[in-house]
Amino acid sequence: SVAENGNITMEIMYTVHVFVKSLLFVLLWSNCEGRESELNYVTCGSLVKLLNTRHNVRLHSHDVKYGSGSGQQSVTGVENADDANSYWQIRGKPNRPCQRGAAIRCGQAIRITHMKTGRNLHTHHFSSPLSNNQEVSAFGENGEGDDLDVWAVQCDGVHWERDEAVRFKHVGTDVFLSVTGEQYGHPIRGQREVHGMSSPSQHNWWRSMEGVFIQPSQEPLRHDEL
Amino acid sequence: MANKGMNLCNVCCLLLYVITAVLAGRDFYKILGVSKTASIRDIKKAYRKLALQLHPDRNQDDPKAQDKFADLGAAYEVLSDEEKRKQYDTYGEDGLKEGHHGSHNDIFSSFFGDFGFMFGGNRQQDRNIPRGNDIVLDLEVTLEEVYSGNFVEVVRNKPVAKEAPGKRKCNCRQEMRTTQLGPGRFQMTQEMVCDECPNVKLVNEERTLEVEIEQGVRDEMEYPFIGEGEPHIDGEPGDLRFRIKVLKHPVFERRGDDLYTNVTISLVEALVGFEMDIVHLDGHKVHIVRDKITKPGARMWKKGEGLPNFDNINIRGSLIITFDVEFPQTQLDENQKDG
Repeated sequence: SVAENGNITMEIMYTVHVFVKSLLFVLLWSNCEGRESELNYVTCGSLVKLLNTRHNVRLHSHDVKYGSGSGQQSVTGVENADDANSYWQIRGKPNRPCQRGAAIRCGQAIRITHMKTGRNLHTHHFSSPLSNNQEVSAFGENGEGDDLDVWAVQCDGVHWERDEAVRFKHVGTDVFLSVTGEQYGHPIRGQREVHGMSSPSQHNWWRSMEGVFIQPSQEPLRHDEL
Repeated sequence: MANKGMNLCNVCCLLLYVITAVLAGRDFYKILGVSKTASIRDIKKAYRKLALQLHPDRNQDDPKAQDKFADLGAAYEVLSDEEKRKQYDTYGEDGLKEGHHGSHNDIFSSFFGDFGFMFGGNRQQDRNIPRGNDIVLDLEVTLEEVYSGNFVEVVRNKPVAKEAPGKRKCNCRQEMRTTQLGPGRFQMTQEMVCDECPNVKLVNEERTLEVEIEQGVRDEMEYPFIGEGEPHIDGEPGDLRFRIKVLKHPVFERRGDDLYTNVTISLVEALVGFEMDIVHLDGHKVHIVRDKITKPGARMWKKGEGLPNFDNINIRGSLIITFDVEFPQTQLDENQKDG
């Protein structure tokens, strides 16, 4: 009868053991799922490539100036996905830096700075060379230009989601960043014209693609005694 | 008889101890060199430092290098995950058998990049292999982060060259071709000549990277992640580099490892003396006592209260406090003059 008691105790312990392990496994699994959804926003300080969803080209710039209009650095749309000249950094307005890693809100005013040349996405009252819309250029030095460098992110919802198509409306001239398909010849053959248009349409949807997305950090530890 | 009993007891105890020690598994805290109450940031910092030291490529004459490195990876995998760490703290290594996420290579490359084990030096060897573009990201950091250190998690979504069915043209180059037009008459033309290579397509992949903001880091310093830049379909990917940009601080000004700050005192305090606390970048208070006259523009040096030196964080610069004296704005009345 001692042996029988021993067996029953063993069985109970075994069942408890299995139960606890399963519970822990379920908790671990659900925690894994939960964490992935935080990584879905475009955040302050991130580098992104922006794809025009209607024409399948990425926003791009390079050290080539417009031959007409303002004569500033040109901004185009390119087909290939592996050019570092298609990276742009998302930054706050002049003199109002955004907090590193904070998700960009829908409606927030930002600057879009070309990584390689340090010039800001910019538009002004000049005509674009191919379609006579408003010229969009890259302007400034080391990330500093002027008040016409600011764009508002238009999207539904609260924050700019990485896999969502958004519009960029210029603060100042109220045009939307657009592509309608006109192509340049030599020396940038095949690249599309990027310009500003006054009405929203299917030509001004943009989606974030490749990039380096900064996550919010914890505050550095505070030590109250050394 | 008593002796025999005691010996048996001792042997049993010893046996039990050995069995427990073996079954209990590895001491992950000891492997990382951190205390049981270490924060996630301490754990990341410890891993990054040890991973560079213990990587097998750097310890080619140590037969145990692979094991030590594997232990390090296992320790980080468990202690960096809240749930796994709780399980480990309660049940030991045995309580962890389920859910093995990610290999050690994944963990290592999240701190150093896909080709991080090359440590920069070996990479430049073969100049004939074409490289993809480098990416440089300006990372803004606060002075608080320079003082205490921090980690920034980053999600890298990058195009990766993958095999695809079919062939493509590669290594295209211009070559001169000579054609014979007739007896003794030749023509040289330029022709584009390509090789045939396996076809390649670009697929976007995503992974998390850990960037450390080391204590004492200076403006323009770079943290490279080898192989995390843009791909090259005929060669190697370029690198991703984080370039540190230290933001201006409203209270403290940095000059090298020293910190400068201004404090305004009243006229009475300037004449009679004062005692005050200055709150430092990590929240600790710097106590200042002055019992002599303080002239406007006077400076006080506090050794060891500056920033940690990047190369040796045990050495710190100084905090230099400049005192401004606030004179009363209006004329004093009779009572104030008497006071």
